[in-house]
Amino acid sequence: MVESNRGHLLPIYVLADESGSMIEHIDDLNDGLRSLHQALLGEPMAAAKVRFSVLGFSDDVVERVHLVDLRSAGEFPELRTRGMTSYLAAFEDLINRIPNDVADLKREGYQVHRPAVFFLSDGLPNRGEDWQDAHRRLTDRQVTHGAPNIIACGIVDADAQTINQVATEPQFGFVANKGVDVGGAIAKFCTALTKSVISSGRSLGSASPQLVVDKPEGFTVAIDVI
Amino acid sequence: MPIFPSRRSGEERGEQYGSPPPPPGPPPALFPPAAPGTGRPGGPDAGHGNSVHGDSVYDVDRDGGWPPGAPTSRAGLPGAGPQYAPAPPPAPAGDLDEPWQPILIDGAAPGFTYRPPAGGLSYRPDTVCDGWSTDALDLRLASVRGYAHRAEGRPREDDAAAAYDEISKAVVFAVADGVSDARQPHIGSQLACRSAVGELLDQVRASGGHVTDWGKLLGTVHWQLREQAARLLRRQDATVEETADLLATTLVAGAATPTPEGVQVALVSVGDSGVWAIKHGQLYGLSGGKELGSDGLVSSAVQPLPYVPADIRPRAVHLDPGMVLLVGTDGFGDPVGDGRGRVADLFTNELTTPIPPLAFAFTLDFYRETFDDDRTLLALWPRGGPR
Repeated sequence: MVESNRGHLLPIYVLADESGSMIEHIDDLNDGLRSLHQALLGEPMAAAKVRFSVLGFSDDVVERVHLVDLRSAGEFPELRTRGMTSYLAAFEDLINRIPNDVADLKREGYQVHRPAVFFLSDGLPNRGEDWQDAHRRLTDRQVTHGAPNIIACGIVDADAQTINQVATEPQFGFVANKGVDVGGAIAKFCTALTKSVISSGRSLGSASPQLVVDKPEGFTVAIDVI
Repeated sequence: MPIFPSRRSGEERGEQYGSPPPPPGPPPALFPPAAPGTGRPGGPDAGHGNSVHGDSVYDVDRDGGWPPGAPTSRAGLPGAGPQYAPAPPPAPAGDLDEPWQPILIDGAAPGFTYRPPAGGLSYRPDTVCDGWSTDALDLRLASVRGYAHRAEGRPREDDAAAAYDEISKAVVFAVADGVSDARQPHIGSQLACRSAVGELLDQVRASGGHVTDWGKLLGTVHWQLREQAARLLRRQDATVEETADLLATTLVAGAATPTPEGVQVALVSVGDSGVWAIKHGQLYGLSGGKELGSDGLVSSAVQPLPYVPADIRPRAVHLDPGMVLLVGTDGFGDPVGDGRGRVADLFTNELTTPIPPLAFAFTLDFYRETFDDDRTLLALWPRGGPR
C-alpha cells in the first residue's frame, strides 16, 4: 500500500525561452541553473521539498529536466537556442504537463503544494497567436488541476505589459531595467530563483508555507513599468 | 510575498469571525491562586458540540475495550524495555550517542549542528517534556523544535501546558502552534497555552470539573494576546490585526474530567492543530489538521487566534479504557496524515501504554524527510481505576 503522506512537495518549473534571439545569453542561463543546483546541494532539507523541472520553449517545448530531486540530480542537460517564441506552445504544454505531474506525485504518496512556474523570456510572443486563452485555462483553478502560480521575468525586448499578463499576480512580473547587462540580469534572475527555491522549500514544512519570491536585482516589477 | 496565505483575508475573516469578544475585565493572572470549586453545572459542552458518540468515523461506545494483555512494541526506543523495565546498567561512555539518534522513518538524518535561537530571546528550550498520572489518567506531553528551526537558529514556535485540579480531579491542557509569519509566534503560543490553562483551571474549580464558558476561554486568550501585543508595541492597545501580525497562534484547549461513566474530555480548537485517538491498534483523526483544497492540493490557510470563531464548536470525547487521546500541532498531524502511514504506525505501536516522558519526547522527535516543523503532542491514557 502506498502511503498518502510520504512528504510535502513543491513542484517548480523553469520555463525558459530558447528562441534564436537568446543565442547570446543561453550560456549565462545554463551557468545560472548550474549555480542553483550547487546551491541546493548545500540546502538538503529545503531541496528535499522541491521537485524541479527545466523546460525550454520556442516553437514547442523540450523537457530538459523532469521533476528532479536536486539532491540526487546529475548535471543538468543544457538549454539550446532554436526557433521562434511561442507562448501558446509553452502554456499548452503546461496545461497537460502539470496535472499529470501532480497526479504522479500524489500516486507516489506525496502531498503536493501549488506548483510554481518561473518564466523567462527575452522577446515578444509570436504574432497572431492566441496565447492568452491558453494562459487563462492554465491558470484557472477550476479548469487545470494544479493550476500554477507564475512568476514572469522579461529581459531585452520583453514587453512589460505582456510580462505582467503572464504573471499570475502583479507582484510576480519583473522586467530587467533598461541598459543593464543581459548576462548579469540572467545571473540575477537565477540568484533570485535560487533564493526562492530555498526559502519556499524551508517554509513548506511549517504552519504557514509560502512561495517566497524576491525581486531579482536589476529588475523592476512589470506593473510599475507599464 | 506569500502566495499561500497563512491567514484568511480580511474579507474572509468577516465571514468567519464575529466581533472581538468583550474584554473579560482585567486580564487574569497566568496562574491565579487556587479557588475551591462550587456547584456543578451540566456536563461539558452540553447542548452543542460534536460528540464522538454516533460519529460515523468511529463509535467508541459501540466498540469494546482494549483486549487484555495487548502487546506493546518498544522498537526504536533506546534502553526502554516493555512496561518501564528497570534501566540497564550504564553503558560505556562511548556507546551512549548511538542509541539516541533520532528514530529514522526514511531519508537520511541531516548532519548539522543545532543552532541556538537567534534574536536576543530570553530562554527558549529546544525541547520540553512532561508526564504525570492522576487516579484517572496518565498524561504525557512534549514539544520539540523542528529540524528546520534547529538548522536556521529559530526558536520553537509550538508550546503546550497542562495542569491538574486536585478538587475536581480534572486535568486541563492546551497545545498551540505559533504561526510562522507572525513576528513573535513563540510568545503567542506560550501565552495562549498558559492563559488557556489558567482560565480552564478557574472554570473547572468553579464548576466541579467542567468547562462552562468556551467563549470566555477564547476571549481570555484573545485579550491576553492583545495585552501582550500592546506591551511589545509599547502602546496602550493593539488592534486584532496588529496582534495577529505579532502573536498569531493556533490553540487546542480543554479538560479531561473523571466521571462515574469514565473520563469525559471536552475541548475546543482554533486553527489547524488537531485531535486524534488510538484504539484497537488504529490511529485516526477526530478533528482539525490540514485539509486538501478542492483540487487536491495542500491547503495551508490557517485561522489562528487572536481571531475568535463566531461559532465556537467544542467537542466531547469519551475515553474508553484502552483508548489514547492525542492532541497535537500540525508538525505531528502532517506526517501522521490519514493514520495509515509509517509515522502513524510508530505512534500506534509506541503509545499502547504510557511511556516515560523522555521516551515520549524522543519518539516525537523522529526524522522523516520534508517534515521538519516543530512538533507538539499531548497524550492522555485513561486508567482503569486507582493504582
